[in-house]
Amino acid sequence: MDLFSSIFSFAFLAQTLRLFTPYYLGASAANFSERSGIVNIAIEGFMISAAFCFALFSLLFGNPFAGLFFSLLTGIILSLLFALFTIKLKVNQIIAGVGFNLLMAGASKFLIVLIFKSSSNTSRFESFYQIPLLKDIPLVGNITGDYIILFSFALVFIANHILFKTKFGLRLRSAGENPAAGESLGVNVRLYKLYGVIICGFLASLGGIWLASNQNTYSDGMIAGRGFIAIAAMIIGKWKPLNIFFACIMFAFFEALEISMQVSMPDFPTQLIQMLPYLITILVLIGFIGKTKPPAADGVSY
Amino acid sequence: MNRRIAINIISVLISVLVTFLLTSVLIILIGKNPFNIFGMMFSEVLGNGYGIGQTLFKATPLIICGIGIALCFHASLFNIGAEGQLNAGAFVMSLVAWKLGTLPVFIAMPVSLLAGFMVSSIVGYIPAIIKIKKGVSEVITTIMLNFVILALINYFLIEFLAVKSTVRTEKINDSLMLPKLADYFNTFQGSSVNISVVFALALAVFFYFIIYKTKFGYQIRAIGFNETASKYLGIKTNLLIILTFMIGAGLTSLAGMNFIMGYKGYYELGFSNNIGFTAIAVALLAKNNPLGIILSALLFGFLDFGGLAVNTEIPKEIMLVVQAIVILSIISVNKLTEKYLKKEKK
Repeated sequence: MDLFSSIFSFAFLAQTLRLFTPYYLGASAANFSERSGIVNIAIEGFMISAAFCFALFSLLFGNPFAGLFFSLLTGIILSLLFALFTIKLKVNQIIAGVGFNLLMAGASKFLIVLIFKSSSNTSRFESFYQIPLLKDIPLVGNITGDYIILFSFALVFIANHILFKTKFGLRLRSAGENPAAGESLGVNVRLYKLYGVIICGFLASLGGIWLASNQNTYSDGMIAGRGFIAIAAMIIGKWKPLNIFFACIMFAFFEALEISMQVSMPDFPTQLIQMLPYLITILVLIGFIGKTKPPAADGVSY
Repeated sequence: MNRRIAINIISVLISVLVTFLLTSVLIILIGKNPFNIFGMMFSEVLGNGYGIGQTLFKATPLIICGIGIALCFHASLFNIGAEGQLNAGAFVMSLVAWKLGTLPVFIAMPVSLLAGFMVSSIVGYIPAIIKIKKGVSEVITTIMLNFVILALINYFLIEFLAVKSTVRTEKINDSLMLPKLADYFNTFQGSSVNISVVFALALAVFFYFIIYKTKFGYQIRAIGFNETASKYLGIKTNLLIILTFMIGAGLTSLAGMNFIMGYKGYYELGFSNNIGFTAIAVALLAKNNPLGIILSALLFGFLDFGGLAVNTEIPKEIMLVVQAIVILSIISVNKLTEKYLKKEKK
């Protein structure tokens, strides 16, 4: 099948919708954190560690749901640690993020060698059982049968509702826009920042878990910068859940395109095809109109 | 002033101590004895001239790259893209050196270094201009560029330039190879440490003066401290941000000299071995002071080579965790000392 007709196939659309999942989870993770005023560039690290922990605990307990539970728990504990540095100690958030990325990527690499005696991947494991009935719907079964994919689509509306229609969201946003004003109105700003960071750790971890469950293994480098692309999607989506949805669909589209190109254009150098998602991210950041406008107190310690 | 320096040194020492303690805990957790491990490292590395030479050899690119990153840090620019910048520069450096091989050294050497420097600078220009024009954090763009550059090098190398069935460029002319320290001092016999280490030390001293004793250095530190205020003081902040990023990125390319001119004579895929990321920890531990960078690069050089020495006992990947611990402990110790000093003032 040539590239052109494969893009307009139903399989391509389904592929795009599946690949959307980790981007949207990562981008919403970053958004909840930044809306509360904490810049977390360690999304990549959270995804890496969750993907690895999911593989590790699934193998350990022989059950992917136990893997899911303990991997999310690890993610939340790590976000509490991140909160300790950024909210309690008020260190520079970018440097803390660099440190956490290194810590989680390094620890996963180290533990793979230590536990699995391999330099690159864990053993294979049994992934999630798909949702009964929904997984049998023709054509879209591998989308509607997947818990995490369904959740990430629901998240578009959940995130929008929480951030803009609830008291909780208003307070969270006040922590990121004008913490002093929030505090004077009785909002416990640092508590809301903590909520932001924990939600962030939870969602980013779920993104990593999906990637590992999709491959039935964790291999070193499998997150491949998606955590950073997710942050770019958040920026392009102007910190709004609905806009971020479109940005993530775009990145998922290009990733699906990358995969199709590798199949339909075997003569085209693979290095150049693999480079596309990153190059496109840069080009989109350059090309999209207007200067970015993050929450006013984003990244400022309070 | 002296007291300030003393406090700085103490807080760095505390961070190093915390790192050693946490690393020891990690070693105990996996059932080994930290005294044995560290003992092995010390005796293997510092017990002989070869080990010391290798430590210097590993520290050399970290010093050079660390200075480049520190320069950016002074202007509050978070250059996470050193890995890509240094590979781009070193790749071109090796190609130019190879092509100019027959020319006299005093022409071929500076031209190839300059070519590498310029390529890395151009790579550094991209995140700087995007930051200024679009307000997009350089963290994202530099990481994306790392992926793009490594893929591009991979492409050009494998499709056109590599020696058959390898992932390296052609060897440069022998006249361009730098002398090894072992040629002068017998103790370093067998080690790859070369004249680049002297160059790295000179570079550190030079940039110490640039950063702390010149108007340019004063201005970039002012931008790092408060960009808006600097603008009102008449500092051309945008121009300086671009310049700083370009010089900082350019410097990272020179780290390639140690490997290409000093050791193998060619560029090889994967030669950088995460130097660009390790150098971030190097710069932070030294509080971005070029003279301090010499010491922290030596520490990381020691850990790097020492990690290899104990690899049979503990996977050498533990060093990645150690680097992260260094970064996290230095930033938290810094904050705690700041708080302590504020309390003392009251």
